[in-house]
Amino acid sequence: MDRAKPQLINRGDLLAALDRATAKTVTIISAPAGSGKTSLLRTWADRPGQPYRLAVMQVQRDQQDAQQFWLALLSAVRQASAATGHAEAPAATPDFNGRAMVDRVLSELASQRGRLILVIDDLHELNCPDALAQLTRLLTNLPGDVHAVLATRRDLPLRLHQLRLAGELAEIRAADLRFSERETRELLDASGIALSDAGAALLHQRTEGWAAGLRLAAISLAGRPDVERFVAEFSGSDRTVAEYLIAEMLERQPDDVKDLLLRTSVLDRVNGELADLLTRRAGSERILLDLEDANAFVVSVDPERTWFRYHHLFADLLRLELRRALPEEVLALHRRAAEWFIQHGQVVDAVRHTQAAGDWPGAAQLLADHSFSLMLDGQTQTIQAFLWAFPQGADDPELAQVRATVDVVQGRLDEAAAQLAVAEAYAETAPSDRQRRLQVAIASLKLSLARRRGHLAGVTEQVTFLAAPVTGKSAEDIALGNDLRAVALMNLGIAETWSPLGLEDAERHLQKGAALAREIGRPYLEVGCLAQLGFASRIHSLATARRRCEEAIALAHRYGWDAEPIIAPALVTLVGLMILTGEFDEGERWLQRAGQAVQTDTGPDIRLILHMAAGMLQAGRSCLQEALAEFSAAERLQSQLAALHTLANEMTGWELAALARLGMLGQARVSLAALDDERASSGEIDNARAVICLAEGNPSGALGALQDVLDGTAPVIGDVTVVEAYLLAALAHRELGDQRAANRATEHALGLAEPDRLVLPFAMTGAGELLNALPRHETAHAALLTDILDVLHGSSPAAKDQSPRPQTEELSPSELRVLRYLPTNLSRPEIASELSVSVNTVNTHVRNIYAKLQARDRSSAVQRARDLRLLSAGPTR
Amino acid sequence: MDPAPARYAIRIHGHLGATVLSAFPALVPRWRGADTVLTGVLDRSALYGVLAEIEALGLDLVEIHQLAPQRKSPESGDSRSP
Repeated sequence: MDRAKPQLINRGDLLAALDRATAKTVTIISAPAGSGKTSLLRTWADRPGQPYRLAVMQVQRDQQDAQQFWLALLSAVRQASAATGHAEAPAATPDFNGRAMVDRVLSELASQRGRLILVIDDLHELNCPDALAQLTRLLTNLPGDVHAVLATRRDLPLRLHQLRLAGELAEIRAADLRFSERETRELLDASGIALSDAGAALLHQRTEGWAAGLRLAAISLAGRPDVERFVAEFSGSDRTVAEYLIAEMLERQPDDVKDLLLRTSVLDRVNGELADLLTRRAGSERILLDLEDANAFVVSVDPERTWFRYHHLFADLLRLELRRALPEEVLALHRRAAEWFIQHGQVVDAVRHTQAAGDWPGAAQLLADHSFSLMLDGQTQTIQAFLWAFPQGADDPELAQVRATVDVVQGRLDEAAAQLAVAEAYAETAPSDRQRRLQVAIASLKLSLARRRGHLAGVTEQVTFLAAPVTGKSAEDIALGNDLRAVALMNLGIAETWSPLGLEDAERHLQKGAALAREIGRPYLEVGCLAQLGFASRIHSLATARRRCEEAIALAHRYGWDAEPIIAPALVTLVGLMILTGEFDEGERWLQRAGQAVQTDTGPDIRLILHMAAGMLQAGRSCLQEALAEFSAAERLQSQLAALHTLANEMTGWELAALARLGMLGQARVSLAALDDERASSGEIDNARAVICLAEGNPSGALGALQDVLDGTAPVIGDVTVVEAYLLAALAHRELGDQRAANRATEHALGLAEPDRLVLPFAMTGAGELLNALPRHETAHAALLTDILDVLHGSSPAAKDQSPRPQTEELSPSELRVLRYLPTNLSRPEIASELSVSVNTVNTHVRNIYAKLQARDRSSAVQRARDLRLLSAGPTR
Repeated sequence: MDPAPARYAIRIHGHLGATVLSAFPALVPRWRGADTVLTGVLDRSALYGVLAEIEALGLDLVEIHQLAPQRKSPESGDSRSP
């Protein structure tokens, strides 16, 4: 809010009333247009010695977009809380979760210190269905030292009964705001108007103390010699106060001012340049500044006083007068304003004025060109409101793509598909300069839709041109192109994670997408790309995948998107990784968090992985019934998808294994037989076949089934499968009485599991006895073995140390050589002899290793080395 | 609640001039004493639209009256056209 005008008198009683009111949690000022609500709030906020911090926001005219309302509120709260006055603007998301947003606001309010008052003006302009309910929730859950003041023209359905019953609700109504006769005289005095007492009384009576009326009267009376006659005439007229006085005021203005006021009334806000454009004259800025100084109906909205707004009532009357006096100008004014807004990249205003000018094709094209950017700016509901404004019947094909965008975001997938079909048909006949952009937009939407529905077969080939840069002419073209390209890269990368052969491409496209998104300042897309990157990174190491998941989650946290669907892929992948490395307790915690973030609009693929991870957890803890339930749920989701998920064979294999271990052998055999040949020959299914054989008491059969996996000819998803195969082979050997072969197989499993620390296969196959039977001197992986036994006995390995440790010095090559022997059971003299050095040398190296790794002893040194992935270079693959 | 169109008489304090009247194109104005009576056929949506306009312009609403159907313009009195 800006500084109070000299004409805004100090209505002391009213200010005191407001002070008393704001002692309660919520104060509602409810009074008709022109009652002086905003002026009161402004005077109250600006008075010297105002003890409280204020977060002030004014709801935009006809605000139909709940997200925009909440972002503005959050921004105001941050501005008020920021020490320096410059706060990070909240980032928008395409879809909007009202509940999560209110939680965010509440948590930010809770984290600030001292009394804060939230001031929301023009609340009646909030025109979206759920926003009031969300606001009610905010108001009934405000932290102790946060109060709220709401100003509105009419009583709103805010269900604040609780507050009222608790005596925490205060109201200020029209009767309270009415000017008293004394205040009327004060206003006249402050404006330098020499009116008699009788005249003032007459004025007060005629206006009934209505603030807007009195202020308009003051404008007309100022500098006028015949004040008494004016008031007498005014009193004697039957015309409505506002009309009479506005007409008077306009008549007194010089022509250029009157012209400016009328012509700029079509705008929600105006600056000098725009006013010059609409009046076809120069010097508008000066006029606007003078108007602001002269009266309370024109106010600047920025500290630099470049943009101005008219009081709504004032503007409405001016607009009516414009329509009456210059009807032929109205459309042209809207058109000119629209062009200015287009040139200045203010799309929402541009569309509004283009529609107001009746240029429906123009508005359609604007929306089509900018719908992606608007969606990424969190203006999806605004787009929707614009769509509703188009006249019925004439359906512009350009709008099909816009409708599809909104439908996809809001989860109406069938409608989106129908609109996409219309858009595609149109794209073929569109003029060539529009074709490329249309095609890219359509392709990106197709991918997004396909991903939600799981119909990805064959789509990726059709849309590989998405990855190429859009060559545009203007900077605006390039900006639009970048938004589109970033979304496209994200969708493409996600689609490619579906096929095991596509993971390399997926990684490339997701990284490109994230980098581009960072460059163009689209945090939502950056998080979207990084969230999936973890999963695609399986082709490297699990450590890389995990690190990327954690990076994505940290970035999402920064923007307050901890529970948003956008980060669900990273959460779910992280859970899977934790379970794989035996961190069951930690994994369970994250599983709950992931469950919250996964909603219906993230697609069946993510929910499938979530069930799989849950199944893995249960299987790892030997809760076979629960594991089976989870794997079956995942299987059902798989059947809804058209194409086989990357992890499908693993999931099915574990489901069959669970059936076998529960003794449901008949069912397991039947399901196994139902698989097609390609799936049946995968390593994961071979393992399942082996489990079934073992359960049937047929260890030789098991070994036969495992043959292809162990000699590397069967296709596998990853090392997990091979480790599992070795363990199953070991179990088979043991049954056949060949303990040495069992030990060898177990050792192989350990070696393969070491680099990524794969604990789960040991837990799932019940390898406890195998490990116990393995003589310590026959293994090079004693530390890992001990850790696995700990997990099997129910104690989770220490959760990864979250505290940032100081950088460790790098180990020298000779130190690394010694380090690699630490996990074994070799004594120092034995290590010395292996390396052909003296024992003293080994001792020195070990001392240095402990120092550099900040370890106390051998096992903590080994643990730290493992954390730092210093032990990975083993020739065990 | 019958949402079908009905005839309404809406009384507003003060004489409405041409400018403000242009906000109510569907209604016929008549001055009655110090008030203006706007009459016309409105369905519910249109009625609420009129009320919203009255609110926006800060007009002083005195009365809304649903008239019996087929009724001609209100009886005499001191009614004058603006």
